[in-house]
Amino acid sequence: MILVIAEHRDGKLNRATWEAIAAAQQAGAPVRVALVGAALTTLATELAAADVAEVLTVEHEALGAYTADGYVMALASLVESEKPGYLFFPHTYQTRDFAPALGARLNRPVVTDVTALKKDGDGFVYTRPVFQGKLNADVSVSGPAPHLVTFQIGAFRADAAARKSGGAASVRAVAATVDASAIRQKAEAPFKEAKQAVDLSQAERIIAVGRGIKSQENLALAQQLAQAIGAEVAASRPICDSGWLPMDRQIGSSGQTVAPKLYVALGISGAIQHLVGMKGSRTIVAINKDPEAPIFEIADYGIVGDLFEVVPAMIAELNK
Amino acid sequence: MERETLDVDILIVGGGPAGMSAALRLAQLQKEKGGEPLSIAVLEKAREAGAHSLSGAVLDPSALRQLVPDFKEKGAPLAADVHHDSVYFLTRTGKLPFPIIPPPLKNHGNYIISLNHFVKWLGTLVEAEGIDLFAGFPAVELLFEGDRVVGVRTGDRGIGKHGEKKGNFEPGVEIRAKVTILCDGVRGNLTKVLVQRLKLDDGRLPQVYALGIKELWELPKDRISPGSVAHTMGYPLRNEEFGGGFIYAMPDGLVSLGFVVGLDYKDPMFDPHLAFQRFKLHPLVSALLSGGHMVRYGAKALPEGGWHTIPRPYADGVLLAGDAAAFLNSIRLKGIHLAMRTGMLAAETAFDAVRAQDVSAAFLQAYERRINASEVRRELYPVRNVHQSFEHGLFAGLAYAGLSLVTGGWWIRDPMPAQAGHERMAKLAEYYRDARPNPDVPVSPVKIDRQVTFDRLTNVHYSGTRHAEDQPSHLIVHDTDICRTRCREEYGNPCTRFCPANVYEMVDAGDGGKRLQINASNCVHCKTCDILDPYQIIDWVPPEGGGGPNYEGM
Repeated sequence: MILVIAEHRDGKLNRATWEAIAAAQQAGAPVRVALVGAALTTLATELAAADVAEVLTVEHEALGAYTADGYVMALASLVESEKPGYLFFPHTYQTRDFAPALGARLNRPVVTDVTALKKDGDGFVYTRPVFQGKLNADVSVSGPAPHLVTFQIGAFRADAAARKSGGAASVRAVAATVDASAIRQKAEAPFKEAKQAVDLSQAERIIAVGRGIKSQENLALAQQLAQAIGAEVAASRPICDSGWLPMDRQIGSSGQTVAPKLYVALGISGAIQHLVGMKGSRTIVAINKDPEAPIFEIADYGIVGDLFEVVPAMIAELNK
Repeated sequence: MERETLDVDILIVGGGPAGMSAALRLAQLQKEKGGEPLSIAVLEKAREAGAHSLSGAVLDPSALRQLVPDFKEKGAPLAADVHHDSVYFLTRTGKLPFPIIPPPLKNHGNYIISLNHFVKWLGTLVEAEGIDLFAGFPAVELLFEGDRVVGVRTGDRGIGKHGEKKGNFEPGVEIRAKVTILCDGVRGNLTKVLVQRLKLDDGRLPQVYALGIKELWELPKDRISPGSVAHTMGYPLRNEEFGGGFIYAMPDGLVSLGFVVGLDYKDPMFDPHLAFQRFKLHPLVSALLSGGHMVRYGAKALPEGGWHTIPRPYADGVLLAGDAAAFLNSIRLKGIHLAMRTGMLAAETAFDAVRAQDVSAAFLQAYERRINASEVRRELYPVRNVHQSFEHGLFAGLAYAGLSLVTGGWWIRDPMPAQAGHERMAKLAEYYRDARPNPDVPVSPVKIDRQVTFDRLTNVHYSGTRHAEDQPSHLIVHDTDICRTRCREEYGNPCTRFCPANVYEMVDAGDGGKRLQINASNCVHCKTCDILDPYQIIDWVPPEGGGGPNYEGM
């Protein structure tokens, strides 16, 4: 049995949870989803729409605010009672915070940042990037269950997670052994470094601009296009480095990794530092003057042309 | 500002081969001699021991054998025993093997290693001795009492791009030490300040450096036998440029491939990174690489000047070891064993000084005596003029190098006079006279196919370099006006060519001219800009702790 650990904050599910569910469904074993926290009813109902065997809730007031210790205790006790073969997590910051500790507590292996899996005898072979994504390594794990596996954001599609046709999965509350006094961390109010921080990993459409945009004033063009299709504006490093857009809109190895449904690259040459942050996008459209630009190697649709001619035409057409 | 302070007996700045060896030697002395245990700390700017360590590398195990006699049992990561040496003189398409291997390039008994793995391993031995190894903490400033070094200050964390304190601001710590051993590597930021302030290079020749650029390749396993070592001279360099290529084969098809270029070339349009690409396109190399792929990239400067350029390696409260003080044998292309050896000798001196409660320069001079009585001098003194002789061209250098094997290094003028590399670079008008090239376009371009040849930016990606983006530039250009005016006219912005990591770019300023764009987060900490900028207006200072390349396996 695969147990997917859901992630949520402020009453909202992290979209990556659905990606982990999609990975689990693809694996072919029975899937359960676990929610850890306090006051989980609404979230449990939301998750019960998924085509899974069961949704398990582990509620305790000490789990209201996320702490690594709290999660490790709750999940260790859940593993003991439910005996899953696998624990699947989305590879989020929060998972990175507690999953290694959980692995150590259970004395079980953790495979991180997995992008694909396939059946191999009784178990699975996991694919994960090494050398900054240059190579993929196939990893298989031996030893007693459960194995902990985290999935790279965007490697599986949230919208590919199968929903139950008719009805909902049953929800079962599991009593957790949580010793509030053993929680060593105390969460302070979350701080955000940049005001209006935007989480591009949740965006379905992204218009990204690069050096070809030439000046800050020309960003208006990208913004108009974004508005016309309901997209977020993002950029490659030089744009954010010049301060034309805030750093939280930077895509690439030193910024965010995204996998939207549609990624439109305007005047981006496609340095590998940028590509690693967006190559998982479903449809990539590139507009660039240079036919040799590496972005065209991964684009589904490429327009060799001057973005200052192409983009206004696109906006005009979309606004018709 | 209130800063935390930490007091130790001996502080080692830089956890490379020199620093790690110093720490290990101190632990041994402690055990041998007993007494009140000394407190020892090692500071390392990389986020993990060895992450900034880059070398070819072929290790002469002499110092290792002495420091860790049971290194094999302790699992020293030695990738392969060298079993085959070759040296080639390359022409544009051909190769002439040297009929005999020049004695300094004989590597029998040496090992091919990944310096990253080796330093990481040394780090585990250091930590096993209970010594504090603080990785991710750069030393940014020396603490002085008068002219006596009394420790260092580590870098602040959480400073924004414009110098503002961010939510995660943490001030650096003052680490006060009785003796500070600086092992901050080639062109170390603290050693540079110390040498200038105390004039430790008085009466020494100016230091000359080289830049080494390296890639790690995965090739089909049967392509080259592990333990093969090849060195090349000649093409793509001209007689006036010093340097050459290296190919070191490790097990499992892994090959270290690199190119070293003297940072004392005359042609301001010369581009070391393009020279490396040309080297890979030479039939000897491209045949080797076909079907393989590049998995890692890195670059680092190395001090090549030798014996006469070593600064006075001691002052009140401080000792210098390893590359920081130019303990490197450029004729043998080896420095790791000398870094280890000088680290060990520095440790012995520092230990005695703390025990004797005398950390004055007079006491610490014992370090120089130890060096003079050791293998370090026996190895470096006979070749003391060889690097300088290459200033007169490859053939003159080779001739002198051969001669010095017979004469023990004697020359009519000893030391042979020399000039700092940044002073040797010619101006465009001198070098090209009437045919002034466009500084933004290579004089002879190389086709970048991203299979065998790569552009700088792609290469940087494979160095694993990461810096927090929101921090002040750690490359301080004191007058960027010079870049767009004088330097553009006189030298054509050579920083855009000698930087192997695409840190420096001249971009359109919007007013028809150009301006300098510094991509500090690309920096692989090679120090070339600090060394070679003809106006000497670039200062390399450490970025926020942990930033920099990740030379895993290099």
